[in-house]
Amino acid sequence: MAMNAAPSGGLADRLRVPSGLLLGVLALLWLGSVVRAPEDQMQGVIQKILYVHVPVVFAAYLGFFLTALGGALFLWRDDERYDRLARSAAEVGVLFCTLVLVTGPIWARGTWGRWWSWDLRLTLTLLLWFVYLAYLLLRGFTESSHRAARFAAVYGIVGVLTIPLNYFAIDLAAGRTLHPENLGRGSLGAGMGWPFALGLATAAAALLHLVARRVELEGLREELIRRRAGAREGAWTT
Amino acid sequence: MSVFLAILWKDLVTEWRSRDRVIAMGLFALLVVVVFHFALPEAGADRLRPALPGLLWVAYVFAAMLGLNRAFAVELENDALAGLALVPADRGWIFLGKAAANWILLGVVQAATAVAFALAFDVRLAAVAVPLSGVVALGSLGLCSIGTLFAAISVRTQYREVMLPLLLLPLLVPVLLGAVDATAQLLDEGRVSFAPLQLLLVTNAVFLIVSFVGFEYVLDE
Repeated sequence: MAMNAAPSGGLADRLRVPSGLLLGVLALLWLGSVVRAPEDQMQGVIQKILYVHVPVVFAAYLGFFLTALGGALFLWRDDERYDRLARSAAEVGVLFCTLVLVTGPIWARGTWGRWWSWDLRLTLTLLLWFVYLAYLLLRGFTESSHRAARFAAVYGIVGVLTIPLNYFAIDLAAGRTLHPENLGRGSLGAGMGWPFALGLATAAAALLHLVARRVELEGLREELIRRRAGAREGAWTT
Repeated sequence: MSVFLAILWKDLVTEWRSRDRVIAMGLFALLVVVVFHFALPEAGADRLRPALPGLLWVAYVFAAMLGLNRAFAVELENDALAGLALVPADRGWIFLGKAAANWILLGVVQAATAVAFALAFDVRLAAVAVPLSGVVALGSLGLCSIGTLFAAISVRTQYREVMLPLLLLPLLVPVLLGAVDATAQLLDEGRVSFAPLQLLLVTNAVFLIVSFVGFEYVLDE
């Protein structure tokens, strides 16, 4: 059984303070670098939203990857700790993906002049958001927790496998794109590299920190259920 | 393999004796066609033409979802699903039997819907009937493969009628895009290029393999 997920002594528990501190320091450095970064000559100050948008999208992808990985390991090993990881990563991933879908249109409205375009990357991200919301709903609507874990693991893996298929499909249909191309060498102006790099580090640290907290919480919840069941059993036998 | 044939035969015979699933799906698809007519009153047949392949596939997907939900709902009676889980064979074959039955029943409904569609919107489907059946069969294969997998999941959740479309639709995009694109090319030019077929073939292969393997984990207890 997953005894080492008990509230004291777990790896997530021991790393709580160090990872929180690291996140705080990174966030402050990132904030400072974003404030000091030069304004874009064409887009103006609205370009700075990309220092949030781009790092957060990578963190959301990391969250969904962890969900599929946790699901696959759960199916393989049948260990509930992996399921906790998958579930926690999905929740935090959906949160980050929501941030992406909020910050993107704000930037697009200022730069393209409209909130949304059915372009490859936007559509893919929107579909991913739907997939992982459905993942969370599936968990909520399935009664037995072990069955929910198996269903969700299968769905999470299929969800990740569909990403490349969706990519090719939408590429085939949409063709041209409005979305800026992936950051190539030299596509950033002077002074814009640091805020991006710090942003990536901060977003990844935030995701991992939140996932670890969520895993810990889930462990505590299960421990509570176990203790209550134990107390009830005790009350029956005495 | 014999499990596959047994399940397929069982589902087809059950459906032949009651005929309720095909009739429900068919009527529903016809109603969708009628709803399209009333929802787009201003557009004449000519102006509607670019949208027709998409509308046809929307009717197909809605009808398929109705049938997929029923495919496992019947297995809940008398705990037949638990019996299926106890079959001493790879559960992937049970999946294939179920998916093949869904695919064949959906095909019957699709043929009837296509006729209604051609009459309602004045489309000349007869000229491209053979290649169109191929495209529809190919698209439906992907639809029925993950559709069957997710129906087995959603049937044992609360709100199962809602859960299936929520699970299925976001992942169905590659199938829909390929199928709609191929259908549009057939209606416009009478032939179809390789790109959408390639997309459908690759997607079907991925969906079939994933569902074959994944079914092992959704049919339990």
